[in-house]
Amino acid sequence: MRGSLASRTPGLLALAATGVVAGLASGHPELVLLAAPFLVFAGAGLALASEPRLSAHIALERTRLLEGEAVKTTVTVSNQAPRAVWLEFAPARSAQLGIEPSGAVAVRLAGGGEAELEFVVRPRRWGAHRVGPLLVRARDPLGVATWEGRIGVPVDLRAFPREQRLRELVVPLRTQPALGAHVARARGEGIEFADVRPFRVGDRVRRVNWRATARRGSLQVNDRHPEHSSDVVLLLDTYEEARDQAGGTLDSAVRAAAGLARAHLARRDRVGVVDFGGTLQWLEPAFGTTQAYRIVDALLASDIAFSYAWRDVEGIPLRVLPPGALILAITPLLDDRSIGLIIDLRRRGCDLTVVEVSPLGHVSPGPSSSDAVAYRFWRLEREARRAQLQALGIGVAVWEHDVMLGPALEGVNAFRRSARHGLLA
Amino acid sequence: MIIAVAALIVLAGLSALVLPDAGRAAGLAWLGAGAAALLLAAGMAVASPTPVHAAVFLLGAIFLARRDSRLLLAPLYGAGLLVMADLAIQTIELRVVERIAPEAIATRTGAALALAAVGACASVAAAIAVNAAPGRSVALTALGALVAVTAFAAIARLARGQYGPREGRRPPGAPSRGDRAA
Repeated sequence: MRGSLASRTPGLLALAATGVVAGLASGHPELVLLAAPFLVFAGAGLALASEPRLSAHIALERTRLLEGEAVKTTVTVSNQAPRAVWLEFAPARSAQLGIEPSGAVAVRLAGGGEAELEFVVRPRRWGAHRVGPLLVRARDPLGVATWEGRIGVPVDLRAFPREQRLRELVVPLRTQPALGAHVARARGEGIEFADVRPFRVGDRVRRVNWRATARRGSLQVNDRHPEHSSDVVLLLDTYEEARDQAGGTLDSAVRAAAGLARAHLARRDRVGVVDFGGTLQWLEPAFGTTQAYRIVDALLASDIAFSYAWRDVEGIPLRVLPPGALILAITPLLDDRSIGLIIDLRRRGCDLTVVEVSPLGHVSPGPSSSDAVAYRFWRLEREARRAQLQALGIGVAVWEHDVMLGPALEGVNAFRRSARHGLLA
Repeated sequence: MIIAVAALIVLAGLSALVLPDAGRAAGLAWLGAGAAALLLAAGMAVASPTPVHAAVFLLGAIFLARRDSRLLLAPLYGAGLLVMADLAIQTIELRVVERIAPEAIATRTGAALALAAVGACASVAAAIAVNAAPGRSVALTALGALVAVTAFAAIARLARGQYGPREGRRPPGAPSRGDRAA
């Protein structure tokens, strides 16, 4: 810890010196008498002051929580030095972490004593946060000397994004042979009725449709669609974001990705994530609850990384984009590189849907009339881009951050049904 | 807030010690006391110790406006000035503090009061010495100066010993004494 004289001490000494010099020079002993208590105070304070030996322990009630939730934090500060100190401390602040009380806390810590205080920590945004270290200012009991420093080991706190409950999901065009919740286009063992056809050797008797058999005069069996899983890849665009005081498009994008991942995993789909931006990170598709946690952990590391690099599909490992996978590109459509990638993927025949995290809620036109014109042009340009994607058979779900994602996905399914033949081509 | 009010009350009390006995300089003393009150309030409002020290200086100066028993009252007045300055500085220091235990303030103010009492005793001892002295002389003034210089030197040594150039005050990245020796 760094020790120094308190800001008051030089002033007190200067006053005392002024009184003594003025008293001696002018022959007014009263001035010296006025200065005497100041001298005694400063002298005694400095003589009694000794550097404190402080240590701190920061304990969180839990280290994983949802963004916006509060967690109780207990801070224990102890003083191993023999003399008491006056202590002001507060956990180190960060813009993403709300801490109550927001100011410092002051206690008197006896020699060899310890104090325990509680703070409430509330992550304002998802992500991996650190609580601590403590910023400490210790003063001697008379306040003539101060020591400042940081004590305590920071504790990691992971705030998971708040997910939306999604009833409707984008229906994949192609499914995988594994058992799942999507009705496959192929015919086989399943629940969903597909067609009636003549009996073939090997068909089970229980599949015979006796009514159709009676009507047609030959054995007829029911064909069914099997329930299969699909591969889903969430393509998270981290090239750029629109941000204001209330949040940014990346915050919403991660929430959408977490919600989509959990919903698809609940339907027994294999889900993978590609964080596509200044840095390229990926998680291969897999099933199950473990994968849900892996995905959320991977999403917590997502951030906007500024880069001039122009990446294309070749940069993404093939195993991350399995054939027939449904690719959900979650993007604010702000960067040409990500739009180029989406178009490239579509031209390679990928089943692709864009979840457009609308930046309009975070952007407002400037005060001048030319700003308003520029804003309108920008919005028109966005609409043109959207139309360009839809012309390629890419469904675009426009998601405003303050509404539910489900209805936007329903709109995409309607688009995909109408454009199905084109999509499969 | 309570501490700030207490500082202003102490200031009013100190002014009350001087103003009734200021005689012809009463106008000047009133002006000084008013200016001191303003400086004290401003210092606490803008969280700067400099106006507080200026207020102490002004109050010390207007003490000379009192005509009688100055030597008798000086120890009490000096202790009062110290308490007022401490309360005002505490107010400034506590502005960044959001939560504080009341007993912590009481302990700290108690320590300041105790030290002020000790300072007043020292001041009384000095007053007795001044009273016992036959009158102003060069030798006595020199002796007083010597005592003052010794006291300041002792305090400076204390300050230098604890907070002078040492390991903890090195600029970041500078080699330590051990590094240089190696």
